Formats: sequence, structure tokens, C-alpha cells
Amino acid sequence: MTQQVISIAIFVIMFGVIISEKIERHIVSLAAGFLMLVIVLGICMKSPEAIWNTLNFKEFVTPSFWYAKTEGAGSSVGINWATIVFILGMMIMVEGMGRAGFFRWLCLTMAKAVRYKALPLFLVFMVTSFVLAMFIDSITVILFLAAVTVELAEVLHFSPVPMILAEIFCANLGGSATMCGDPPNIIIGTSLGYTFGEFLQNTGAIAGISLVFVIAYFFFRFRKELTKGAEVNASTYPEPSSAIQNKKDFAISCVIFGCAVVLLVTHAMTGLTVATIGTFIAALTLLTSLKAAPMLLKKVDYKTLLFFVGLFVVVGGLEQTGVLNIIADFIHQICGNHSYVMVAVILWVSAIASAFVDNIPFAATMIPVIQSLAATTGMDLSVLSWTLACSTDIGGSATPIGASANVVGVSIAAQNGHMIGWGRYCKTMLPVTIITMLISMLCIFLRYL
Amino acid sequence: MIIAIGREFGSGGHEIAELIANRLQIFLIDDKLLYDLSSEKKIPYEELKKYDERPKVPFLSRTVAGYTNAMEEHLAKMQFDYLRKMAEGGESFVIVGRCAEHVLKDFPCLTSAFISGNKDTKCKRVMEKYKLSAEEAKKLMKKKDSTRKAYHNYYCEGKWGDSRNYDLCLNSSQIGVEGAADVILSYVERKQKN
Repeated sequence: MTQQVISIAIFVIMFGVIISEKIERHIVSLAAGFLMLVIVLGICMKSPEAIWNTLNFKEFVTPSFWYAKTEGAGSSVGINWATIVFILGMMIMVEGMGRAGFFRWLCLTMAKAVRYKALPLFLVFMVTSFVLAMFIDSITVILFLAAVTVELAEVLHFSPVPMILAEIFCANLGGSATMCGDPPNIIIGTSLGYTFGEFLQNTGAIAGISLVFVIAYFFFRFRKELTKGAEVNASTYPEPSSAIQNKKDFAISCVIFGCAVVLLVTHAMTGLTVATIGTFIAALTLLTSLKAAPMLLKKVDYKTLLFFVGLFVVVGGLEQTGVLNIIADFIHQICGNHSYVMVAVILWVSAIASAFVDNIPFAATMIPVIQSLAATTGMDLSVLSWTLACSTDIGGSATPIGASANVVGVSIAAQNGHMIGWGRYCKTMLPVTIITMLISMLCIFLRYL
Repeated sequence: MIIAIGREFGSGGHEIAELIANRLQIFLIDDKLLYDLSSEKKIPYEELKKYDERPKVPFLSRTVAGYTNAMEEHLAKMQFDYLRKMAEGGESFVIVGRCAEHVLKDFPCLTSAFISGNKDTKCKRVMEKYKLSAEEAKKLMKKKDSTRKAYHNYYCEGKWGDSRNYDLCLNSSQIGVEGAADVILSYVERKQKN
């Protein structure tokens, strides 16, 4: 009982301090992780084994960490090193691609393809955002798309705000479509042993159906605003080729990105785990740009990786002390054995929570909960997993603080003189989030229950 | 010459700044800053006013990789850049609030002052200016001062109203608005002679 109370207190305080932003979140999560190891697992439980399990270093020497016909050997206990290694690898690759001008080139090529017309550009950028976010983190997607949007809006004389909001939503939606699109999905996939293909067939299908409605929503909401552009001098259009700094680097980054996509799509067949793919992609990026390697390594967002480490320890502590089982029992009591109610509760509670708090700690905490629920109720774990993935990824779109892409997009708009406060943001994004959540719920009900 | 005036609500800081600017025949930057930013960035003035000199709201704002959704913070950065640009351009001006004593601290031509006042005198001034009851005036003073303090302390190393951060700290209730303007002007004069 004592260890449970202390572990809950550590978790709640950690969450509160992270939200307050008084201290950087990686320091908070590492400190909370340290307290969880020493006080809860060490002093209260007197269990060196629990500490060792939570640190989970043994995972590195497990063959299935690097090679497995499926990800089935994944474990939700303690630090999920596969997630960390994969995200590290993708960060290095994305840094290399950004340096080579890939993203700006892609955005400008899309703009040129639609002859720099505002309304077609709006639609194309939504789809681009969705597709890119399936493979690349949404922060990077929005960083480049929003910057190009602002630039084109200046030239084409339209407000970039509707387009940036639509890109944000599509980035979050695209992130929900694959295993590597959004950190919660990576954590769910590696912890519960799902493959890229399984995500694509399940959350990907839901995201694809939702995308049609999302495009229609944004189109009808903003079409008048985007069709009243003034006459523009065609010579002022930015050329895609201007984005490429070095043709060799650009070609290499395209090949590496292609490799990453192929490896991810085929990893269930090849048996390569996401940890192996992350390591391989990072090594390839560093080896093909040896001179820039120190800079690429320096630019990795280590703070986020450390945040993950601390977070996994805290969640591992909650799991070891049985707190998450109590939560699972509580949900079971509320829902009984009604699978529809259970899916609806998980979907809406996760979506609402993700709209206000970071969806990564939320998803990490919920994984053992849904595992326990599946074990006690006999419900299919995969259904609960797809429900959790959709709700945490998409629910975050509802408010400006719900997901990283929202913060970055809103910030880029503001830096360029387009203020998007809570009211303006939610007026557009809350209805489309609710619509998408309803579509997701309907899809899950019809397909799985 | 740059004169930065920090002030408690109701202390007459704005009037003192106005008086100094008139006597020296230099710009007074207060709302002008918002009007200039509004026309430069093509943002409606009312929209900027909403976020002016306000701290970001905890729990409603988030920072990711150096990016923030807090519009208050974006406006503050625009204002700080504007002030630095003005100062670098060699302009003379009086600026009210906006953490100017901290933002422009590296400019030797800066003189900073903080204006405080006795509660009763401030309350009387607020009651007259805003046509409020004593209770309403006190409430408003408390709210405004707490907002200004939170805004200032978020962006600056030194605390709001701490004498170590200003050249002068004056109580306008003791010497009046004219008196405070005189003290600041004579300080500036002596400083220039040295």
C-alpha cells in the first residue's frame, strides 16, 4: 500500500511539474525515475530484481531486440529501449534530410505541381502533411511545411492560418496511421509486439477514412478565404531547386529515406526490429556524411530521449507496484464486460486527456492498463491498442497544447505575425477533432466488435 | 537618451513618462509600440492589446523545442526586438514598462526608474481615473500589479520593483508626478554631465 501511494505521488508530482514548465521535462522525468527506483522499488519493495527489470538493460543482449520474425518479444515493463534507439535513429536521419534541403524541396515541388494556386495548394499540403507524418515525426513535418506555407502565403497574398491549422491536424492524423508516425504508436508497437503493417491495416485504415472527412471539413470551412487571392507576379514564385544546397547530399538523403520506408514497411517479413532499423538508418546517415556527422549527432534532441528514459522508469514503477492494475480494475468495474462501453471510455478519456497533457506519458501509462484489461475481460488486446493509438494521437489536435506539432505550427505562425490564440485555434480544431474521434469510434465498433 | 519607467498601477508612472517625454521633446513609447507593431506586422491592434504586458498562462501554454503557443510570449519578444532596434538606431525615447530596464540594460544611454506609491494615494487616483469605488479600485490595483509582476519576472533576471535593477526608485505619493519627473530629469542631466 505504502509503495503504491508513494509511486502515485511521484507520478502526479512529475506530471504537475512537467505541465508547469518550471523545470525542463527531461530533468523532471529523470528525477522522478530516480526516486521511483530508490524509494519505491529499493526501499519500500526491497527488490533489486524489480529495479533491474525496470532498467531493462538486458533487452540489448536479447536477440529478439535486434532480430525477430515479429515484434512479439516486446515488453512493456521498464525502459523501452527499442523506442529510444528507433527515435534516435530517425532523429539523425531527419536532421540529415533537413540539412540537404529535402523537406523544403518537397514542399516547393508540390506547390509548383499545383501551379502555386492557393486552394489546390491547401489540399495538396494537407495530404503531404499526412503522408510525411506517417514516417517522420510531426514536429519536423510542421516545421518545414508551416515555414513554406508562410513564405507562399506572402507571395500569393492569402492568410496562412487556415493552411497551417489544416497541416497540423493532418500531421497528427498521419502520425496515427503507422507504427513510427507518433511516439505513442512506437511505444505501443514495441511494447505489445505489433508490426508496421498491422498498424497500417488498422489505425492506418481509420486514419485514411478520417482523412477524407477532414479534407472536406477544411475545404468547406476555408474555401472562400483561399479563393480570393490577388494577382501575383509569377517571377516571385520560389523554385524547388533553390531548396537544394548540395545535390549529392540531397540524393543521399532521398535514398536513405527510401531505405527507411522500405525497411519499416517490410520489417514483419525481414524480421528486422525497429531498433535495428533505427540503428541502421542512423549509421547510414552518419557514414554517408562523415564531415557533418559530429554536427548531426550534436543536433539530436537528447533531452527528449532522456525524458523518455525517465518516463519509462516511472511508468515501470507504477506497473511493478500494481497501481496500473488497480486503474485497470476500476475501468473494468465501470464498463463491466461491455466491450462497446470499454472502447468508448478508453477512446474519449484518452482523447480528452491528450488534448491537455502530453500524450506520450499518457500512452506509456495506459499500455499496461489495457494489457491488464484484456487479460481480465478477455477482450482482444489489439482492439484496445488501436483505440488507444487513435485517441491519443488524434485527441491531441483539439487544443494548441495537445501535441508538439500544434505548438510548433502555432508558434511559426505567430513569429510571422499571425496570432493564433486558444479561441481561434479551438474554433477550427475542436469540431474536426470531435468528428474524427466519432469516425474512429464508429470504425472500431463496426470492424472489431 | 533612453528613459525606462517601471511602475505600480495607479502610481502615475505613465503621466510621469508623458511629462518627461514632453519636456525633452522625445517619443513616448507606450501604446505607440503596439500601433507600430500592428502596422508593421499587419496584426489588428486589438489583438495585440489582448496579450500586452501579460504573463503566459501556466497550464494553457506549452513549449516544445524552443517553440511556444503562448501569444503573450510572442508579443513580448516582438516588443523587445522593437525596443532593441530603436535603441540601436540611436533613437531617444521614454518607454513605459515592457521590461525595458532589463531589455535595454546594455545601452549606456539608458536611465531606469521604478515608480511606486502609497496605497491610499494610488487608490484615489485609480478611483478618479476609472470612475470606480474604493473596493473596485483596490481589486483592480491588486490584479494589475500581480499581472505586471508576473510578466516582468518571467522575462527578467531581476525582480519587479527591486531597487537593485533600477537607477532610481521613487514614491510618487511623496513628491507628486511633477516632482518625480523633476528628479528623473535632474538625474539624467547629472548622468550626462559625468
